[in-house]
Amino acid sequence: MERETISVTVNGRAYERAVEPRRLLSDFLREDLRLTGTHVGCEHGVCGSCTVMMDGVTARSCLTFAVMADGAEIETIEGLGSVEAMHPVQQAFWEKHGLQCGFCTPGMLMTAVELLKANPDPSVDDIRDAISGNLCRCTGYQTIVESIQYAAKLMREDGP
Amino acid sequence: MTERGHIPESRQREKPRADLQWIGKSMKRVEDPRLLVGKGIYADDINEPEMAHAAVLRSPHAHARIVSIDVSKAQELPGVLCAMTGADAAKVCDPLPTWASPPVLQAVIADDRVRHVGEAVAAVAAVDRYIAEDACDLIEVEYEPLPPVVDPEEALTSTGDAVLHPERGDTNIGLERKLTFGPVEEDFAAADLVIERRIRWPRSGGQPLETVGAVASFDDGAGRFTIQCNTSMYNYCGWMIASTLRVAPHKLNIVPTLAGGSFGSKMFVHKVPVLAAVLARAVGRPVKFMEDRIDNTTSCDNHASDRVYYAKLALKRDGTLLSLKTRIIDDYGAYLQFGVGQHGNALSQCVGPYRINSVEVDLAAVLTNKCQQGAYRGFGSEVANFVIERLVDAAADELGIDRIALRRQNFIQPDQFPYLIPTGNMYDSGNYQAVLDETLKLADLEGWRAKQAEARKEGRYIGIGVATCQERSVFSATEFWMWNLEPGVEWTSSPDGVSVKIDPTGKAFVTLHSPFWGNSPETVAAQVLAEQLTIDPADIEITYSDTDQGLNSTGPGGSRFTVMVTGAIVGAAGKIREKLLRIAAHLMEADVRDLTLQDGAVHVKGVLDMKMSIAELADKAHYYRLSMPEDLDLTSGLDATYVYDHPVTTLPDPDERHMGIFYPIMGHSCHIPVVEVDVETGQVHFLHYAAVHDCGTMVNPMTLEGHIRGGTVNGIGTALFEEFSYDEAGQLTTALWTDYLIPTIKESPADIVVGHVETPSPFTEYGVKGGGEGGRMGGPPAIAAAIEDALKPLGVTIDSLPLPPSKLRALIRDAQARAA
Amino acid sequence: MKPARFRYLRAASVNDALQALAENPDAQILAGGQSLIAMMNLRLVKPACLIDINRISNIGYIDEDGDGVAIGALARHNDVKHSPLIRERCPLLTEAYESIAHHTVRNRGTLGGNLCHADPSSETPAVMVATGATLMLQSLRGQREVGAEDFFLGTYETARRQDEMLTEIRLPGRRTDGWAFAEISNRHGDFAIAVIATTLRIEDGRCEAARVVASGVGEHAARLEPAEEALIGGPIDDARLDAAAAAAAGAVDPHSDSHADAAYRRDAIAALTRRTVRRAAARCD
Repeated sequence: MERETISVTVNGRAYERAVEPRRLLSDFLREDLRLTGTHVGCEHGVCGSCTVMMDGVTARSCLTFAVMADGAEIETIEGLGSVEAMHPVQQAFWEKHGLQCGFCTPGMLMTAVELLKANPDPSVDDIRDAISGNLCRCTGYQTIVESIQYAAKLMREDGP
Repeated sequence: MTERGHIPESRQREKPRADLQWIGKSMKRVEDPRLLVGKGIYADDINEPEMAHAAVLRSPHAHARIVSIDVSKAQELPGVLCAMTGADAAKVCDPLPTWASPPVLQAVIADDRVRHVGEAVAAVAAVDRYIAEDACDLIEVEYEPLPPVVDPEEALTSTGDAVLHPERGDTNIGLERKLTFGPVEEDFAAADLVIERRIRWPRSGGQPLETVGAVASFDDGAGRFTIQCNTSMYNYCGWMIASTLRVAPHKLNIVPTLAGGSFGSKMFVHKVPVLAAVLARAVGRPVKFMEDRIDNTTSCDNHASDRVYYAKLALKRDGTLLSLKTRIIDDYGAYLQFGVGQHGNALSQCVGPYRINSVEVDLAAVLTNKCQQGAYRGFGSEVANFVIERLVDAAADELGIDRIALRRQNFIQPDQFPYLIPTGNMYDSGNYQAVLDETLKLADLEGWRAKQAEARKEGRYIGIGVATCQERSVFSATEFWMWNLEPGVEWTSSPDGVSVKIDPTGKAFVTLHSPFWGNSPETVAAQVLAEQLTIDPADIEITYSDTDQGLNSTGPGGSRFTVMVTGAIVGAAGKIREKLLRIAAHLMEADVRDLTLQDGAVHVKGVLDMKMSIAELADKAHYYRLSMPEDLDLTSGLDATYVYDHPVTTLPDPDERHMGIFYPIMGHSCHIPVVEVDVETGQVHFLHYAAVHDCGTMVNPMTLEGHIRGGTVNGIGTALFEEFSYDEAGQLTTALWTDYLIPTIKESPADIVVGHVETPSPFTEYGVKGGGEGGRMGGPPAIAAAIEDALKPLGVTIDSLPLPPSKLRALIRDAQARAA
Repeated sequence: MKPARFRYLRAASVNDALQALAENPDAQILAGGQSLIAMMNLRLVKPACLIDINRISNIGYIDEDGDGVAIGALARHNDVKHSPLIRERCPLLTEAYESIAHHTVRNRGTLGGNLCHADPSSETPAVMVATGATLMLQSLRGQREVGAEDFFLGTYETARRQDEMLTEIRLPGRRTDGWAFAEISNRHGDFAIAVIATTLRIEDGRCEAARVVASGVGEHAARLEPAEEALIGGPIDDARLDAAAAAAAGAVDPHSDSHADAAYRRDAIAALTRRTVRRAAARCD
């Protein structure tokens, strides 16, 4: 079986692994690195659950081969914050009930982080545009928008 | 006993009160921290040493005989551990559990015949999923196509090769019977007017973001299966899986995982855990089978109601509703997992919030070459809501009475509760006028009527819809079997249990016996226990039992959880409180009647500083037996279990004059959407959306509102976009999520304004009612009414869903052609 | 839902890629992969060999090209969407991007890959045809230019030969004053049920030139010439709008699928033609 050796940095830690070229980044993260916080919902690029950060911008990990991430910096939900020290986006989703089953949440959070990095004070329409590629089946989205607005506020207050 | 049955005494212990400390608070969820940091363990996150992965080869045919199947090339592929056919599986397992009686036999892997596209034909276990799928591609199957049965009304007359289950006779009618409640013929004879409609409700499904998955292993030494799975009802009827696997029930342990959403679809999953278990035993290693999205859309347990109604509503010229007659053809797909429980369910509230004197339901459950039905948010009652609301709107239009006024005129009045409807089910309490009034206020009806008139002058089509819907909660098991022709499973219990202990340091532990599937079980349990013991929810830890440890618990579904677990916690906490007081009385040399529990301590009433904290008492209870009174019942420790039975049910009448009380904790909602329809393109935009729900006493308004909004968007999906659509050949044309259209945020209203009315139940603890399904049960009829209102100048009638732009535009085009 | 095996080749330069294409007749180029990998996961396609061009440097450019714009093969959708140069010189493309996919997909997906994929309901081919874009195709045998109208041949079928790589997209400078893009899809960001991209030139109140291009209603994006003819030669008034809308609907022979039937697609084309022409005409003022 043909394998390629790749080096990736995930949440600040360097990994080197041999992978089949067809191995999806989602499976590489979840199975090879045991970072199961990134979820797989549809595996054909519709739902956004598997969204991770790749070299600073979001990517659908189910539509990315692990070999394409060779040399890349990946960030996943596990790198965002901990229960003791939550990222403001995590804190805001908790406060504003931005999740129910939690399955879309990691992808939703990574997308929100990307938005807030580019736009610290997004309008409701900006937020709706940004997360339009992330399906949530539980919340009806409204509290997700409120969570992201609240996160923006927290981050502006905490900011430099 | 009346024609409609009798109403038992209430067993409520905790009355609704204004001075509650935790119940009624929008407390942040206990579940969330681990989910937010990516540490929640869902089924696919489980990894066992040596774990193999399964994939399934699925039928490309809707209906065919399997002439031959050859797995040899798959077996030879490096990395493959086992390739199993239906015949192989039949050697080691029995048909899947079913509530249908007589049963419809369903194998975990089809043996001689496939009955829908996507049915399992073979399964492979391999060292990884990629190789398992490679192996599936190497399996050679020869099929002999049989005639596909796709149209439910044509299925009524199928014979010969078109019959799916010839062993049940030469017919595709799975069950057909008519039930009559009250003087239907007399009421129709007395009517001035009969409204008739053919209504089509589409096949949709919960489609949570997470599919169904299981990791199974078989311990050769103990002869025992362990299955970790994102299913529910495992502590109620999980043993049925053991029967299928041909082991004694105590030789199976089902361990729950978090479920990434269910909406009913994971209520009692059977194919996935059985398949994983059969393969695990065959290969001698743990096996994970995680449905991928196509596995799930084509062959899950949970496509939902797919019905044709021929409905008639009899009424007087003055608007008085008299009687409801429906002929229903329900397309169940290839199997009947829950029997026709969805129609048992629908009998619970088929007359809506209205005084209707009699009901006739004539049901044909047909079998077709489609995926089986299961549960989805409403479990059949959402369809009954749609039908009654459409009929009431049609009646109002026909009589020239305002749609809202006709509703008010026929509402069951606040002083008429508890109220028995013709089918025998009870509505425990309600105040439908109050809900309507509150919604009208939030919706600004008058303002929108003015905007609507202005818009019409500009050639724009704005519409306002009003639906006043029932939101039954807390099912009883009778709904699963009340329609059966032959006695089968005839259970009458549907309890939920909890275990509570206080450890020696005063911290509380709750074990739940049903799973997390996207709701807020830990938050509810923490709030209610905190209320009961006057402790801080932060001092409570919540875990979930497996079937080895489990108490009889029906689990979430049918909007049961909050009511049932509240009841169970009240029961268990009551036992602990009693023990705390006894110990405190002894230690403080006081009379139990002079003691009170508050702020986490037992106080002697009226004596300042005479108190002992729960932590002190717990320490004594655990370690100081010799300081306790001499009483055999006063064992060391502080723990209690409690199995809370359904608060109020009765049996169906043996003569079937009524079906008894089986779904009585009756919420109510009013939805008022305002939409604009683009008549050239058929696109619908939401301009406003107001929804008011009465779910009795609210435990957590924040999470309840989450259910209402999320359910409403599910309802928007059902109303406008979602359909499992099969073509004439029985191919599922919407198997991908590019084609099965779940609303994104762009199709969802920016602001669903939610309001509450609280009419407590007189039967449940604190007066709580369930509220898990109401959004999806109220949205579709309200949206249909709004679209119809928008298109009133064109004379468009809505009696079929979904209404994506193409379908709505077709209705508009036809109406324009008629007018021209 | 996992892809079948394939050989993986990583190109370090355009020449590298062309060499690999020449040596591997069963190879396909992997750019952003946002359509290709989804289809591979579903095993709808099983390419034997993929040539990954994502490591080739300097081909993600968006540069001035005379009065037009030259876009490199690896320019990502979001770079194109947010490019001020494109907004100035080809605002029709900027407007089209309001309807194209979702942010995360646009981060990775490329305009070039999208055009070569030639999905019949894709938006960008309509813009290319409406603006008269030129596509540069390169192989070891040399380079050739193909006009957008000649590039799209059928469903997932283009004029690109197996050994060729699309290296650059050239958008001409604005030769018309009015432009508008409109799309109908069931959900925002989905592939289109129907698309119209329109460009107009109006002089002294008279429509002198028009392109009305449809997508989603045939095998590939195509001009609706009867609609264009109905517009040219007079003012854009209600009569011309009606005539163009009717001509557009008559000029397409759409298919039916789970998203919409043929009759709907025809109605949609009529409505979108009317709307885009009206908007394009207003922009000429």
